[in-house]
Amino acid sequence: MGIHILPDTVVARIAAGEVVERPASVVKELVENAIDAGADDIRVECLESGKRLIRVTDNGSGIRADEAALAFQHHATSKLRDAEDLSHIRSLGFRGEALASIAAVSQVTCVTRHREENSGTLLRLDGGKITHQERVGRPPGTTVTVEHLFAHVPARLKFLKSNQTERSHIDNLVTRYALAYPHIRFTLIHEGRVYFQSAGSGQLRDVLVAAFGGEEAAQMVPIASDPLATITVSGFASLPSLDHANRSRILLFVNGRPVQDTRLAFAVIQAYHTLLTTGRYPVAVVLVQLPPEEVDVNVHPAKAEVRFRDADAVFSAVQRSVRRALLDHLQPPEAPSALPEAWRAQLAATSPAAPTDAQPASPLQPQAQPPIPGSERWERVGIARQSSSGRWSLPAAPAPPSPAASSSSLPALRILGQLATTYILAEGPEGLYLIDQHAAHERILWERAMAQLDLGQVPSQALLDPIPVTVPVSSAHLLETHLETLRAIGFEIERFGNNTFLVRSVPAIMFQDDIAAAIREIVADLEEGDAVLQRDVEAKVLRRVCKRMAIKAGRVLSLAEMQALVRDLEQCESPRTCPHGRPTMIHISVATLANEFKR
Amino acid sequence: MRVQCLQENLARALSLVSRAVAPRTATLPVLTHVLLATDNGRLKVAATNLEVGVVYWIGAKVESDGAITVPARTLSELVTLLPADKVDLELNVRTQTLRVQCGRTDTTIKGIDAQEFPIIPSPGEQPLARISGSALKKLISQVVFAAATDESRPALTGVLTKLDGERIIMVATDGFRLSKREEKLLEAITSDAPVTMLIPAKALQEVSRVIESEEDVVFIHLTASHGQAMFQTPRANVVAQLIDQKFPPWEAIVPQRYETRVTINAAEMLKACRQASIFARESADMVRLGIHVGEDLEPGKVTVSARADETGENCSELEAITSGKSMEIGFNVRYLIEGISAADSPQVVMDLIQPRSPAVLRAIGDEHYLHIIMPMNLPGSNPT
Repeated sequence: MGIHILPDTVVARIAAGEVVERPASVVKELVENAIDAGADDIRVECLESGKRLIRVTDNGSGIRADEAALAFQHHATSKLRDAEDLSHIRSLGFRGEALASIAAVSQVTCVTRHREENSGTLLRLDGGKITHQERVGRPPGTTVTVEHLFAHVPARLKFLKSNQTERSHIDNLVTRYALAYPHIRFTLIHEGRVYFQSAGSGQLRDVLVAAFGGEEAAQMVPIASDPLATITVSGFASLPSLDHANRSRILLFVNGRPVQDTRLAFAVIQAYHTLLTTGRYPVAVVLVQLPPEEVDVNVHPAKAEVRFRDADAVFSAVQRSVRRALLDHLQPPEAPSALPEAWRAQLAATSPAAPTDAQPASPLQPQAQPPIPGSERWERVGIARQSSSGRWSLPAAPAPPSPAASSSSLPALRILGQLATTYILAEGPEGLYLIDQHAAHERILWERAMAQLDLGQVPSQALLDPIPVTVPVSSAHLLETHLETLRAIGFEIERFGNNTFLVRSVPAIMFQDDIAAAIREIVADLEEGDAVLQRDVEAKVLRRVCKRMAIKAGRVLSLAEMQALVRDLEQCESPRTCPHGRPTMIHISVATLANEFKR
Repeated sequence: MRVQCLQENLARALSLVSRAVAPRTATLPVLTHVLLATDNGRLKVAATNLEVGVVYWIGAKVESDGAITVPARTLSELVTLLPADKVDLELNVRTQTLRVQCGRTDTTIKGIDAQEFPIIPSPGEQPLARISGSALKKLISQVVFAAATDESRPALTGVLTKLDGERIIMVATDGFRLSKREEKLLEAITSDAPVTMLIPAKALQEVSRVIESEEDVVFIHLTASHGQAMFQTPRANVVAQLIDQKFPPWEAIVPQRYETRVTINAAEMLKACRQASIFARESADMVRLGIHVGEDLEPGKVTVSARADETGENCSELEAITSGKSMEIGFNVRYLIEGISAADSPQVVMDLIQPRSPAVLRAIGDEHYLHIIMPMNLPGSNPT
């Protein structure tokens, strides 16, 4: 077969294959057009998951009667004028491909009326050719109906997944856009029934409730960043009490465009560093806004991926904003309940350190705050619950409260004893606390080590006699590349032969440990690594060191030891989880106990 | 078995053997017991956890011979509460119960047949060496504390003990510091070649406890298989299972030169270290020593300082005799305190090379003590 130019119809179908892959792609293109047209009410209707019919109705600007036919031509668009415009695209679409591609693989009916015209236009196309055109009446806006998708492309039709799958793609897509555009009212209708509707109130929280349900939405906190920065980050992120088995619920938007970006998703996951158990992922809606020239959207046929000019800046902006949102909200103040009042009296009577009513000016006194909706449930999960009532028992020190004191999210605890030589039983103002001694100690050591690392001062203890460590040959290079990083946290290691290394000093907290075994574990950790930054590697290694050095379950602790441990834990920034994200404590409230005893 | 002894003697014996009793989680129940047996007109009290065995003999009026094991904890808790009076012990062989009568108290304790108790080897005819009790006690106190307490490197939980001619040398290290002392034996060892043993530090602590009088002479024995060492005092015998591991070549570690030499008053230095240790807790017990060598006639001085972000900071200045060059060096304050206390001397000398090299501590007037401490560093700071 000789070389020849393909006929136009074939070219059109090949091009369509790039853009229109499945019913959800049609919905995506039509919804984007509606958004670009300035609509604030978009209605998506589907029959048989879009295989039979997709209809998208908007109240946007509409298409002028004389341009309507042109809109279905390839490379026809109103959103772009010249190549220069490509570098600062503000609209979702820009290629002028969507309508033409859809029309090439289906039967399309388009009814539209431009805002400034008196009558609308009806166009009917089949396989890309206009078969009918007439003037009709309708309110301003556009309705595009796509029927018998892929009827002309049996190969594509064969590859469509079950109705269930295709439908979930459409559902995901519509909710994503609803989240990205809270001011637009989205309605999603399957087989004539409304399945999802956003309020169009402009409040992202409202869309979250509609999309995720009230229970999950209540466990999400807003993300905010400096509104004056070039890169702004907004959205919502889940508290550690809400997590998910994979990354699929980290929804990312760049300039209002849903994107898939593993690095950005990783930035979000990093922000939950030590707060979530390994293998669990957060739920988040992250909207990144940055100047259009800072991002290239023209890299993926379906525009699912984007490229940043300064990816590191975006990465760190996302990580910082999400982290800050979490830390700010892990201790939401709330109204003191009646129970701590009783406690206050009791403690004031027993403890000379407790402030009395004669010191109302103490900055540590609880202040009445409106209760947070859903906070009752947080109590069960324990993470988000920080009661200001827990602070009254701090001694009213003459010094102003330090940041450390104000961020302490543990109430004063009275040690009751040790359970199964693993858990510390403690009584607090709100009931019983079971503290995992190993996890708690790990958290304390880790925060201390990280503080030392921040100051660049991790004490390192030299070894009398260097310890040789042999690592697997395949890991030797990996270890060697990290020697400098390890030095920063106190490990002085040098290569000594092929896969043997000499350890000359170790972080000072490791004074009692099997150092060779520790190094081998650290190497194994590094191998797993998806750590990108040096800082992450340091944190990872320190986590391992702290895990090894933390007191083990099964060790009998004296009362004084337990008191010291709990006091140190109170000083921690995130006392409720260990560095690996496991909980350090379980809280059983007095109310729960009363309930269990049916009092 | 029918025996009469004094409550205070029995209580003492039980207390001395108590640390060799296996913990209650031991797989072999009889190891949680003490053995009571008549032995040549005396009462023998013994306990072992198979690593260390302690046997102690007390004077007793033996009416009939016999042996029994009873739960160590039960018996010693009981005996400490008995009046200071004569205690009658009587074994009921049929039921294997021990009847303990003292004053108006009458107790019976259920036991296990003495046959089940492991045989603790007894010393042979010919001891390997003899040493004065006071010398051995000092030797142990100056060395044993430096041994490792965790089991990750078993060799370091032992104390290297070398008997060579008329000398005995003990060395212990935990990998970060090392303590060494030698003493004279009362006479040359009976073996032709020097003998080297790795004795568990815990066993030597027991040896130290059973040396009751300065005048006691301790006989050191080695079993024929060289698997166990024995320390025999007039009233006790401690048997230690030797550690079959290689001790690091410690002699290569001892620095042969120094750049800075400091002589300080040990008591003042200890006080300064203890103060600094309060502020060193947050930074893994690290304190800094600043050694300032005086110029011309100016006296030298040493500063001991520690800093904690949350607690505050502390700095003490001591007068010292210094030579060489000025230096700043970091140490784990616990190691300093232990090393200087063990020197047991009014003045100590510290030899330093540079902030990353081992420091050597010696006692003035006692050339037999040598202590080496590895420094601590902050990776961020530049070595000077």
